[in-house]
Amino acid sequence: MKEQEKLELLKDILYPEDRGQVEDISKRITLLELIINDQEQLAEKVNPLVDQKIDSFTKSIPDTLGPTITATLKKEIKNHKDEVVDALYPVLGKMVKKYVAQEIKVLSEKIDNQLSFIKRWKLRLRAIFTGKKEEELLLKELSSSKIEQVLLIERDSGILKASYSRTSSIDEEMISGMLTAIKTFVEDAYHKKNQNLELIEYENYHIHLQSFVTHYVAVVISGDYALKSKNKLQDLIFNFYYNFMAMNLDLVFTSKDRPKESKTIDKEWLEKELAESFGNAKI
Amino acid sequence: MQRSRKIVVLGHFGVGKTSLIRRFVEDTFSDNYKVSIGVHITKKVVVLNADDAVTFILWDLEGTDEMEQIRDAYLLGTHGVVFVFDVTRPSTFQNLIRDIEIVRQKIQGPPILVVGNKTDLIDLEKLEQQMLENTIPYDFLTSAKTGNEVEAVFLKLATLLNEDA
Ligand SMILES: Nc1nc2c(ncn2[C@@H]2O[C@H](COP(=O)(O)OP(=O)(O)OP(=O)(O)O)[C@@H](O)[C@H]2O)c(=O)[nH]1
Ligand SMILES: [Mg+2]
Repeated sequence: MKEQEKLELLKDILYPEDRGQVEDISKRITLLELIINDQEQLAEKVNPLVDQKIDSFTKSIPDTLGPTITATLKKEIKNHKDEVVDALYPVLGKMVKKYVAQEIKVLSEKIDNQLSFIKRWKLRLRAIFTGKKEEELLLKELSSSKIEQVLLIERDSGILKASYSRTSSIDEEMISGMLTAIKTFVEDAYHKKNQNLELIEYENYHIHLQSFVTHYVAVVISGDYALKSKNKLQDLIFNFYYNFMAMNLDLVFTSKDRPKESKTIDKEWLEKELAESFGNAKI
Repeated sequence: MQRSRKIVVLGHFGVGKTSLIRRFVEDTFSDNYKVSIGVHITKKVVVLNADDAVTFILWDLEGTDEMEQIRDAYLLGTHGVVFVFDVTRPSTFQNLIRDIEIVRQKIQGPPILVVGNKTDLIDLEKLEQQMLENTIPYDFLTSAKTGNEVEAVFLKLATLLNEDA
């Protein structure tokens, strides 16, 4: 069989109907991978059609045909950009989620622990006075929005420049890279609209992304994240960026008679300022 | 002080980009082919000597037969490139010089290391001979499966980046 024929055969097995439709890309890919990897399964399906040579053929599939199938699939993906973005968005979301979710668990456990002995007693007393359930008050406390983490990220490379973290646990450098990859993908796919990805949600957390020219700021928020919080948060971010980042732009705009002073962005100093700007802020 | 560098890994479909990274980062290998879609990010600290290390943020890009099709946006701010081909599939290296040229146009400046992978599947000496005869330029011949020369690629890159700094 020629490569093309093999491919046609496989395609027939894989997509008996609706060949042209990209309905559920990730499902298909999983199926493809399954079949490519599970040679026995493939042989079973193809056996009635082809002779024993199939055995050696299927054995070489991961190396030879796998990439060809991928190429075909990816061409198809390219021709259905919007559908693919829809299909991939959750996949990419999952990518972050996978890494973040387990960290979040650690995080929320830490939050629980932070409700110290005294705090519990305060709650208990408040419960007695207000007549509300202790759990109810606790929940309320936990659901108010809090800034968990602030990442200052170089826009192009996705390299983390500085961070503030209330209860550190996440690998911030990796998250910065991932956020940048997702942001790049989504923004590139919707290029025409010239929009910036602004919010990523997962479970009880929100990641607010605020883009500037050279850097962007990602803020991880736990609890409710309503419009009011968003406005407050944006003010905080803009203030921070104006005060500590935009001064690099001063270099461009300084008047002739004022000597140019170049300041290197020092990580330690930036992190101190980040903590000061975001650490005790209420949103 | 520890620096972070963005490294992108590129090449045709199924040449072993993901496997190389996995070997380098986790020191594992799997025969299963799991198609990459979009980008996958991993991180690894490369120790150069007692008081110098660099953090690699590795961008594992999906494979493509046409280097023109690589999303430029993914390549922004790149500090170093690993271009991988599959020594068992000529289609992945017969246009190597052109492929590299295209990548070079997209990423000007940073070092590009060219790596032939899956050497465990063929006779290494014959391969080297063949590469020489056909003047196929490469920097390393690796096997993600056995781990041969994998670390060397990234160490070399780290050293190159260190010289730049
Ligand atoms: N024998 C052998 N097989 C390898 C080696 N490296 C990768 N493979 C196999 O080749 C197939 C493709 O490997 P991947 O690492 O997924 O290739 P990739 O370049 O990331 O593929 P895409 O991202 O889809 O373009 C898998 O079945 C791997 O197990 C190697 O060094 N030796
Ligand atoms: Mg891959």
